[in-house]
Amino acid sequence: MNKLSPADLEKMQKAPNGAPKDWIKVGMGSCGIAAGAEEVYNFFAEEVKKRNLQIDIKKCGCAGSCYAEPLVEVSVSGLPSVVYGTVNKEIATKILEKHVISKMLVNDCIFEVLI
Amino acid sequence: MYNKVILIKDTDLKRQDKTRDFYTHLLDYLRENNLHSEILLVRVADIGVYDKGLVLKMLPDRNTYINVQDTDIKRIVDSILQGKIIEELVFRPKVKQHRIVLRNCGNIDPENIDEYIFSGGYAGLKKVLGELGQQKLIEEIKISGIRGRGGAGYPTWMKWNFAREVESDQKFVICNADEGDPGAYMDRSVLESDPHSVIEGLIIAAFAIGASKGYFYIRAEYPLAVERINKAIKQAYAYGLLGNNILGSSFNLDLEIRLGAGAFVCGEETALISSIEGKRGYPHPRPPYPSVKGLWGKPTVINNVETLANIPAIISKGGKWFAQIGTQTSKGTKVFAVTGKVKNSGLVEIAMGATLREIVMDICGGTLSGKPVKAVQTGGPSGGVIPESLLDTPVDYENLQKLGSIMGSGGMIVMDEDDCMVDIPKFYLGFCVEESCGKCSPCRIGGFQMLGYLKRISEGQGKPEDLAQMRRLSVAMQKASLCGLGQTASNPVVSTLKYFEPEYNEHILNKRCPAGKCSHLVTYSIVGDKCKRCGLCVINCPPKAISGDKEKGFSIAPEKCVKCGRCVDVCKFKAISKD
Ligand SMILES: Cc1cc2nc3c(=O)[nH]c(=O)nc-3n(C[C@H](O)[C@H](O)[C@H](O)COP(=O)(O)O)c2cc1C
Repeated sequence: MNKLSPADLEKMQKAPNGAPKDWIKVGMGSCGIAAGAEEVYNFFAEEVKKRNLQIDIKKCGCAGSCYAEPLVEVSVSGLPSVVYGTVNKEIATKILEKHVISKMLVNDCIFEVLI
Repeated sequence: MYNKVILIKDTDLKRQDKTRDFYTHLLDYLRENNLHSEILLVRVADIGVYDKGLVLKMLPDRNTYINVQDTDIKRIVDSILQGKIIEELVFRPKVKQHRIVLRNCGNIDPENIDEYIFSGGYAGLKKVLGELGQQKLIEEIKISGIRGRGGAGYPTWMKWNFAREVESDQKFVICNADEGDPGAYMDRSVLESDPHSVIEGLIIAAFAIGASKGYFYIRAEYPLAVERINKAIKQAYAYGLLGNNILGSSFNLDLEIRLGAGAFVCGEETALISSIEGKRGYPHPRPPYPSVKGLWGKPTVINNVETLANIPAIISKGGKWFAQIGTQTSKGTKVFAVTGKVKNSGLVEIAMGATLREIVMDICGGTLSGKPVKAVQTGGPSGGVIPESLLDTPVDYENLQKLGSIMGSGGMIVMDEDDCMVDIPKFYLGFCVEESCGKCSPCRIGGFQMLGYLKRISEGQGKPEDLAQMRRLSVAMQKASLCGLGQTASNPVVSTLKYFEPEYNEHILNKRCPAGKCSHLVTYSIVGDKCKRCGLCVINCPPKAISGDKEKGFSIAPEKCVKCGRCVDVCKFKAISKD
């Protein structure tokens, strides 16, 4: 990595982020990890490879709703991005099959809590 | 492709969940009108609104309708098709979360500096180095009105200005990430979820006073926070945001992590300094304040994690912007870690001036059990208990202090009627007695004596004159203790005495614990006519204190009972009485 100049910093912040890509983000703060986020993250990473899906699996910190960890945010073109809570392998499978592949939101698992 | 999404949730706490019924009715209507391929219906687990009947949230516009009836279905669908809003159904929350400190938490990858930069990170540092300079920077912080988030609420600009004005060959900055209050974990979460925001804040603080060396003091119990800060510091060095000639300027700064062993008193700034110096974590009398004579006798600024995480946002958006948020004396937002008997425990960031009731009831959904809130504790072991009747108080530094509590670092513990107002201060005081460093006697001996009174009261050995003695003792501790730990340790006791004296008297005079918490004062027994003789309590009683048979009924042997409450939990017929 090169040392940044002020101009470099500005360039990075102005750079267009490229074509929007689909992604799944798993909350990996202590609260998420304690609730099983690591397992969920690994599961997504493996399944996406196995099923050859074009979607990024990313990590993030704690969004604040610790009671509903592990939290998983999903952004897929054509659907509004939503946050799923108390995700386990079973719900993760539904997210992949329903949300990512069939472009439907999964019932009974969304936590839409930030007001 | 769906143009619209409708999220559905029944939030009525008093009836059975009707989410599925409404979902079916609405879906039928959409099918009849051939709209089911345009509008997607989703039942959700939590919609962020509580006790407002059936709630619908429309995406992507995010309009929320509350108390929706089956008869509203037609007009709601019509309004969606016409792109209109039904005013009388719209929910306009009184309070919304306002995210400044948590701006990136849950959005960016904390282990990737580029994501922080893409979301505007280090632009504040660039502005400080390139445009503002020391004087204007401190001026901007002064305009913002930000006060320390570590507990005492001291104006940040004043601290920085003192340290800047002192002539010295060497100055230091320290980030206080010791976070020892039971129930508080805002700082941990920020360190784990957005480490660069804190690092950027610390670099700016260092520039403001002219420090060339800084420390993160993090408790070793936060391994993930340590790991992420460590990674983030390395990345910042690699990008030239730390080290020599930061962003091509003449400003140099080195940052290092120091681990704390988890002693509460080491969060106190003078004790923290001793700990970094490799000495025992003993506090020192102030003045001299650390900003004049701190680490190794040099001018030192110590700021809390949350204070520092605010700084880059203030610089980027301007002090004026920040000063518009909050109340007259308390600007900006505060992050609270809401825990205890609350439905949605977690982090809540609100603009100062939101009321406790809005935080607990509207944002966090009230109590988990549905029982009424009895009190809310803020400020951890240095804070106090605020009764339900005062929950409409707007949160700011002065208001909480007036109520006998403090803002503290941001722990907020919700209590219901099962919490005993003698037991709670006993817990907090017990914590302070254990964590007292023992250097000064008002804290060491006063705390111990006070705890003795509380223990005796909770065991039914209290005397009526004890309350006056405790009040006297607390004044002595407040006035004569060396550091904040002892000065504030009696706050939980004083505040419960102020608001819940009858509950103390009930323990002392009638030897009763109304909450059923103080085990010496409760006796468990089986209520004959409620008992269905299922025998579940017998199987579940750990010390096998319940005997009898299905013919004659069961009874609890008081000498064997350890008062664990397991029988109450397992009994489906509420046949165990606690009195
Ligand atoms: C017993 C005790 C414990 C403290 N613990 C912490 C702590 O864990 N974190 C913190 O930031 N400040 C803590 N403080 C407050 C610090 O002494 C100091 O005021 C604070 O770090 C200053 O930062 P600020 O101006 O940004 O709030 C504690 C104070 C006392 C008396």
